[in-house]
Amino acid sequence: MNILITGNKIIPPINFCPVEHQLYRSGQPSPLNFPFLSTLNLKCIVWLSNEDPEDSFLEYCDLNNITIQFSAINPDFGEDDNPWDGLNEKSIASALTTLLDKQNYPLLVCCGMGRHRTGTVIGCLRRIMNWNLASCSEEYRRFTGSRGGRILVELLIEGFNRDSIEFDKLLLPHFILSSIQEK
Amino acid sequence: MTLYIPPLNLGMVINSSSDNKEVIYRSGFPQPLNYPYIEETLNLKTIIYIGSEKTVTDEYKKFIEKNGYSFKVFEMSSVRDNDIHLKIKQIFELILNKENYPILIHSNKGKHRIGVITGLIRKVLLGWSISGIYQEYGIYTGNIKGEMDLEFINNFDFGDMNVDFDIDLLPSYLNYL
Repeated sequence: MNILITGNKIIPPINFCPVEHQLYRSGQPSPLNFPFLSTLNLKCIVWLSNEDPEDSFLEYCDLNNITIQFSAINPDFGEDDNPWDGLNEKSIASALTTLLDKQNYPLLVCCGMGRHRTGTVIGCLRRIMNWNLASCSEEYRRFTGSRGGRILVELLIEGFNRDSIEFDKLLLPHFILSSIQEK
Repeated sequence: MTLYIPPLNLGMVINSSSDNKEVIYRSGFPQPLNYPYIEETLNLKTIIYIGSEKTVTDEYKKFIEKNGYSFKVFEMSSVRDNDIHLKIKQIFELILNKENYPILIHSNKGKHRIGVITGLIRKVLLGWSISGIYQEYGIYTGNIKGEMDLEFINNFDFGDMNVDFDIDLLPSYLNYL
């Protein structure tokens, strides 16, 4: 039985926001959000939590031929991996490699609440796009709610080395291409 | 290589079209240090400013002229204005014409007035739930001072006002047909 009557309204996931052309960010989508997600025609979802998403979400992606990339689930860490830990260099690099390939778009970046982990990856993407650090932090904090930003996340964004990421220039999405061209 | 400084509270409202033409950005008032980011990466055609004609600086006018943007100012201070429905109708008429895209809509801080316009685009054109609209409004305003705006979005209705548009010029994200 449906206890929620939503009519024909579409409901975006928690902390949903468009980031760039065909690139979106959000928290973990629930079944309530699936009709909305379908309007985005997603091709790929980057999942940044080190726990598996809910079964309903996995099923939805399976049914709609959406590839989920588990960037933060690290087989080497095993039981030492805590859900409250942030991302590390390896998981950021893995997520960014997906973001720097236009064949993966339309793309959604998400984690449990769409705040810190998603914020880290989007922050590093902005660094690649040549944004200055203050603007990256400002955007990250916008999504962190009343408890504010975490210093560790901002350190990750600040310490991120743009040259450590390898990419194929022909496959870059155009919004990155236009911001890294030498003028 | 110099770093870009995007305008305050820059964000996207519409970003789904496959050719990347039909885009709406939102932001605060662009300052001279933001100009390189706007002209080099955003590829705009129209700028809509919701605020007061008096606050448009000569520098900004020159910047707009240099890049050939079409610039529209809508005098609006808050949702309590008397002729607010008429202003919103005129803004919607610009948004409903795909020849105006890509569009940047900005106010002074990119929080409340833009939050209302974005909320109305979400509600009237895209059919979002009110809770989703409140959440997006909250992201940009830090959840302060918004009760009046949110009530306005919730109750908004064009009533018997006619929003004019040409069906052949509707942007493609409005796929009602």
